[in-house]
Amino acid sequence: MIKFWQRRFKSNVLTENLEFDDQLKHIKKELKESIHIKFAGSLAIRMVDSGSCNACEAECNALDNPYYDLHRLGIYFVASPRHADVILLSGVITLNMLSHAQDAYEQMGSPKWLITLGDCPVGDGVFKEHFAYKANAKEYFKVDFHIAGCPPNPESIIRGLLDFIKTI
Amino acid sequence: MRLIARFAKDRGTHFDVITVYNGKTDVQQCDKNKPLIESLTKKYPAAIWFERKMFDDFGIQVEGAFDTRPLLHHERFPKNIHPMLKNFNDKSLDLVEPTAYPYERINGDGIFEVAVGPIHAGIIESGHFQFSQAGEDILHLEVRHFYKYRGIEKLLENKTLDEAKAIIERISGNESVAYQIAFFEITAQAWHVEIPIHIRKRNALLLELQRVISHLTSLGFIPNDAGFEAALAICSKLSEAARRVMQRITGHRFGFAAIGFEIKEIDIEDFSLYLDSLQKDINWFEDWITDIPSLWDRFDNTGKISLAKAIKYSTVGVVARASGVTQDTRDNQFYIDYGFEMANEKSLDVAARFKVRISEVKNSIVMMRNFLDNTNEKVIFKSLHDGEYNSFVESSLGELFMHVQIKDSLIERFFVRDPSFVNWQALHTMMDGNIIADFPLINKSCDLSYAGNDL
Repeated sequence: MIKFWQRRFKSNVLTENLEFDDQLKHIKKELKESIHIKFAGSLAIRMVDSGSCNACEAECNALDNPYYDLHRLGIYFVASPRHADVILLSGVITLNMLSHAQDAYEQMGSPKWLITLGDCPVGDGVFKEHFAYKANAKEYFKVDFHIAGCPPNPESIIRGLLDFIKTI
Repeated sequence: MRLIARFAKDRGTHFDVITVYNGKTDVQQCDKNKPLIESLTKKYPAAIWFERKMFDDFGIQVEGAFDTRPLLHHERFPKNIHPMLKNFNDKSLDLVEPTAYPYERINGDGIFEVAVGPIHAGIIESGHFQFSQAGEDILHLEVRHFYKYRGIEKLLENKTLDEAKAIIERISGNESVAYQIAFFEITAQAWHVEIPIHIRKRNALLLELQRVISHLTSLGFIPNDAGFEAALAICSKLSEAARRVMQRITGHRFGFAAIGFEIKEIDIEDFSLYLDSLQKDINWFEDWITDIPSLWDRFDNTGKISLAKAIKYSTVGVVARASGVTQDTRDNQFYIDYGFEMANEKSLDVAARFKVRISEVKNSIVMMRNFLDNTNEKVIFKSLHDGEYNSFVESSLGELFMHVQIKDSLIERFFVRDPSFVNWQALHTMMDGNIIADFPLINKSCDLSYAGNDL
């Protein structure tokens, strides 16, 4: 491991998007009280893939890489919907996943929010209505916010999440 | 002979059941009133999913099959419908009352089951794993997928090649470039266009870049699943850097819409500098990670699949090459001329799959240097020809097979076999003698796609 630390001390901090930090400071100030009441200082997200191509998941995984390091904003992904404030729903909603996605949503404690991620779950993408899936999440869930893109890049996801916090 | 794919076509008066082996294709006619074919599962275990899928899609019965459970149509999927029949035109279906799915079970004193999924703990795609356990030891694993079944084959029917392109790009995001190249090659065949060498070089370059992104991601996540997070920190940095290069040269982080007859100019100096730094980083990474004995303790002898089984289960890609199978779609003169060397390991385990990935990243760097070329010449198209076309591409996961039948300039039948479709079926054989805590590690070492598998 000595090689790792030698390398680590030579390289700088890679984390970018300092403007987000400023924005977040601002938002934090504004929403300090409501975040404290609603999220106890941090926002827990459960990712549910209901029929995506995996690009949206790959971009969510990228959020944890050293360039974006989402954790530092107090936003993190959790293992169970029961631990989550927000469900991030990606992909069209296949017939085979519909009831499982609804289950996950029901398992969440209130207050809870659902954000659709990417063009698929709102029918904006290339996947239009078809027998094997539903292309409009609004008919099956109460959708609180939408982050557009195919797939939305990590920057737009962070921006989207901050915009979502502002709406609460 | 290796089984590559087995699928059916509705020909109006009858079904054609097409079985593709390497070097041979069988076509068998089958009566529509009494659709019955013989099972291949005894000789080729990978035929199981193909045959179960054929029943769900067309209602074709399989004689001698020991597994006739529905594959694509889950508990709440409407019964007795076969969407791939030409006379099926429903645009929307409703869920029905659930029917239980009988899982493969091992009975005995103290044996219990662990159900995992379809929604997993991490940021992963949806799929289900059903374990039969004796304490920590895995006795059996059943992989049950197709939660993400989007009916892509049907969706593409009666579409023009142009309309189909955007959908094919999005079948499996991480393999998008491979899917695009497979479809591009089919398009070129249909237009009777010889793909010029500079386009083949550019396609190959993007394919290698996608492989690098995918392998680097896995090289981080595999140690992470063994509790070694430092590797994830390093590799997620490297894969992000590679993804940004993809963004710079194609305009998209996943290379969507990157493959076509037009070539975008690459800043060769910038790209070469990137390759230099990647080369340095991967060499450093290999040197460093080889020196972490506690990590190799977890990798060595974990999740083995023997050479005999890797062949029997028709495995492809990294899984096959880590078990001594010398199979790679790139094993041809074009690639060899540009520096291709087949990675091959013989230790059969997670360690072997990890090492194959490292050597493939290194080989991709060599090839990418040789593929750099900014030539751009106009390609002349004459007319689109109906017919049946095949293509093979080595995606980051393994051999991708695509078949497209064009009739009246529209897609009559689209079939694709993701490398994951065969490799998933071999996953359970890697569980022998392993404990459940090692499952995520074994699964990640194979890095299989759910979206490409489920279609």
